Amino acid sequence: MNEEKTSASGKVVGVLLFVLGFAGALVLGYLVFPNLLYSQKLQPLNFSHAAHRDNDCDSCHKFRPDGTYAGIPKISNCKECHESAQGNTEAERILVEEYVAKDREVPWMVYARQPDNVFFSHAPHKGKGVECVTCHRDVTKEEKLPPMREDRITGYSMTTMEMTECEKCHSAKGVSNNCEVCHK
Amino acid sequence: MQFAAGAVGGTLLTPLPWKLADDSAVWSQNWSWRPSPERGEITKVPSVCTLCAGGCGIQARLVNGNRAILIEGNPANPVNEGSVCALAASALQFLYAPYRVTQPLKQTKKRGDKTGFQAISWEQAQTELSKKLEEIRGEGPHTVACITSSRRSSMDDLWAQFFNAYGSPNLFKMPSECDASKSAAQLTTGNSSTFAFDLENAGYVLSFGANLLDGCAAPSRASGALRRWKKDRYPVKIVQVESRASITASKADVFLPINPGTEAALAMGIAHLMVNGANYDAYFVKNNVFGFEDWTDSNGKKHQGFKSLVSSSAYTPEQVAKITGLEPAKVRELAKEFASQPKALAVWGTGRADVSNNTYHELVFVALNALKGNLKPGGLIGLAPKAPLSELSAQKDILSENSSQQPRLDLAKSQNCPCPQNGLYGFLDAVSSGPKYPIKLLMVHEANPAHCLPENKLFAAAAEKVPTLVSFSSFMDETALQSDYILPDHMALERFDDVIGIPGAPYGYYAVSAPIIKPLLDTKHTGEVLMKVASTLGGTVASSIPWKSYEDFLKFRVEGIAKAKAGAVIDKPIEISSIKAGDPVTSNYSDAADLFKKLKAGLCWHDAPSAVTFDKTTSGKLELACQSIGKNAQSSDDVIYLPHFAPLKPSGSESEWPLLLVSYSSPRVSCGYLANTPFMNKLIPDSMLAGDELFIDLNPQTAASLGIAQGDQVKIKTTQGEAGAKANITPAARPGVLYIPRGMGHKAYDEYIGNKGVNACQLMEVQLDPVSGMGTVWATRAQLRRV
Ligand code: SF4
Repeated sequence: MNEEKTSASGKVVGVLLFVLGFAGALVLGYLVFPNLLYSQKLQPLNFSHAAHRDNDCDSCHKFRPDGTYAGIPKISNCKECHESAQGNTEAERILVEEYVAKDREVPWMVYARQPDNVFFSHAPHKGKGVECVTCHRDVTKEEKLPPMREDRITGYSMTTMEMTECEKCHSAKGVSNNCEVCHK
Repeated sequence: MQFAAGAVGGTLLTPLPWKLADDSAVWSQNWSWRPSPERGEITKVPSVCTLCAGGCGIQARLVNGNRAILIEGNPANPVNEGSVCALAASALQFLYAPYRVTQPLKQTKKRGDKTGFQAISWEQAQTELSKKLEEIRGEGPHTVACITSSRRSSMDDLWAQFFNAYGSPNLFKMPSECDASKSAAQLTTGNSSTFAFDLENAGYVLSFGANLLDGCAAPSRASGALRRWKKDRYPVKIVQVESRASITASKADVFLPINPGTEAALAMGIAHLMVNGANYDAYFVKNNVFGFEDWTDSNGKKHQGFKSLVSSSAYTPEQVAKITGLEPAKVRELAKEFASQPKALAVWGTGRADVSNNTYHELVFVALNALKGNLKPGGLIGLAPKAPLSELSAQKDILSENSSQQPRLDLAKSQNCPCPQNGLYGFLDAVSSGPKYPIKLLMVHEANPAHCLPENKLFAAAAEKVPTLVSFSSFMDETALQSDYILPDHMALERFDDVIGIPGAPYGYYAVSAPIIKPLLDTKHTGEVLMKVASTLGGTVASSIPWKSYEDFLKFRVEGIAKAKAGAVIDKPIEISSIKAGDPVTSNYSDAADLFKKLKAGLCWHDAPSAVTFDKTTSGKLELACQSIGKNAQSSDDVIYLPHFAPLKPSGSESEWPLLLVSYSSPRVSCGYLANTPFMNKLIPDSMLAGDELFIDLNPQTAASLGIAQGDQVKIKTTQGEAGAKANITPAARPGVLYIPRGMGHKAYDEYIGNKGVNACQLMEVQLDPVSGMGTVWATRAQLRRV
């Protein structure tokens, strides 16, 4: 009788331990792990997309004449307006003193950089009418750049688009998902 | 236990394990040694290639203007029309090479000890060089010497200017196939130029060992001509005559394998049949050729003419068949075909762009073309025209005047030659064997004689006798390794340079090679080092070299073309080979500055071909009896004046050394100053190099007689040296002859370039040409055995 009791309570403890382990692993896997895996890095200075709202995306994130995508603007682009300070924010001071005056490029960290083994071209996507916000965050009202969350193992940003997302969109639009479409 | 089971179960439902597995795969793609191209704006910068003498237009693809990622052909250049060879395609492997010399070095231990090199500043390097040159100048400037590249550029003229002003005659160039052409042009036409061939307009090409597709001096032009020959509605027939089935032979319509070195005998046989059958351009020969008929010299002495020599019994088809190994009927058939084709051209070569030919054989091929009338105005052979660049003239002081009484050192060896040329071999021989006077300082520029000079031990022996050896190499090559100082030049893509003419091309050509990228390392343009040294030496040396930068010097040179209002820049597609001698070419530049700007932007300058002129010879005609040979002649035999088959006998007896070793060049192997890039090494077939083992080609008959099977390890021994290799049994080889590719077997550089195969230059014998005194290479007696 006594033995039966022990065994019943043992089972409960066992189940509890299992649940505890299970729950603990879920917490670790979903909450702790991402924070451990991704570092939080601040950009060299803040950039307010909202303050530049009067421009289209591609007036700064340009396409070159040969159709290749220039990505983040160069300091020469910033200089067009910020040769001297346009306000008295800290970001403005850093921009003008550290980069514009010294003619140095700002070492921006890219949130969406694809690995070297991916051949991605913006031009055909834009040509097919894919909006920037389909893949990138909407920055129209963004006052403050989010921290860059960099995968400590791979060095890529947390927001770098994964292959499955590319494939989903390609198959939805009837575009080939053959390997060599993206891996040349 | 339950906790662990729960944890495992839970973990499997989280992204943790899957993300870690994925990340570790991505992490492995980003290992630090994995090359990752820089991202950014891609631009294209046009320039002109100076890696060989070919003069091709190139364009470099750059990222952000500072990282070169590709070299490709410039489609706007009329020479290569967008094509590019393997060497230039992989040129970035020289630019970003780990074996580059990153700054000036001074040897502090024994020569050849890599660990003895100490980094020094440019200030110190230039001061020490200037000081040595100043000290030596006081004692006798003629004791300074230099060996420079065989490529034709303004650097040659700057070196010559420096040596003239400084007061030394001992400036030498590395050997080239063009040297013999220069001797032959000098002897037959009196012009100091080389023969030029209108390949593109030929209707039938008889090639006596010309390595058109096997690494000749102007590879892109030759392959362009071949493309035309094959493309035309009435394709041009190409007959390749040589002992080994080369790539050129494989592309020819007919390949006639003959005994090595007997091409000139076959040409004499064809000439014999043309003359005896009166099947030659008698009008041209009668009016423009001296020495065809028997002739009388200025002393009234009668001499045999070419007609009587060539029609003699020595050159009957039967005799020629015996020498060459062809059937007599084949000789007859070939002669008939060559004589009857209206636009037949005979071209020739040694199979290697960087060795000179036997002058008498060179004269034989000139004679065959003369019989065909190819040297008349508008014919298929002309003289390479010269771009009218500003001339240099050195100012001399008492020291340079006095030292000009001193003879050039090579002349000690070749002074008895009738037509002595600037002979590097004679010089090396004189330095190593107790010279007339010592050489105290030897500079080596854009050359690697310690490796790629046939019989390279001659350079080593000479270098031993020279107290100071200075290399200007950009790379840690064999010569740089043996030097006391290395003052590294910029790599070709980082510096200003120029191309003066395309070897063997009939049209005038000049191009400026502008840097595609800023110098990456602490290197300096050798031209600017010379300018600095000259200004330190002061006096007339400084005033002879007044330029501050090499770009300024090139601007000065280009002024000459602008002043002459000569030629035009090619700024739209043209068929350069359609311009005939005497055609007007209207200049399309406003002044020298405009011309230089266009050249710097990668456009090239051209001018119409020049016809052969004979007004500088004693007879005022094309001299088949070369009267100038008589000046220093050792023999009174009439044949010494005339083109004839005169093979130089390799040393050693046939009984002891039953085989002949012949070296060949391949488009897959760079065999000059530049080593093979790792990329080019990948292009080499397994039948030429497998791992680090080089293959020697031999005929199945030869292999059977020696009991050697495919891939066997063999030992080759020649009268000059020995080496281990593997056997490649192939019908492409002639029985009794062994073939070895040039350019392999580097001992310096690094693991990707060094120790791959055997250096053919250590096995080959060089023989001095009796007419020019230049070193020639054709075959070396050898033994082969299985090990
Ligand atoms: S053939 Fe010579 S000049 Fe032409 S690309 Fe090759 S190395 Fe350069």
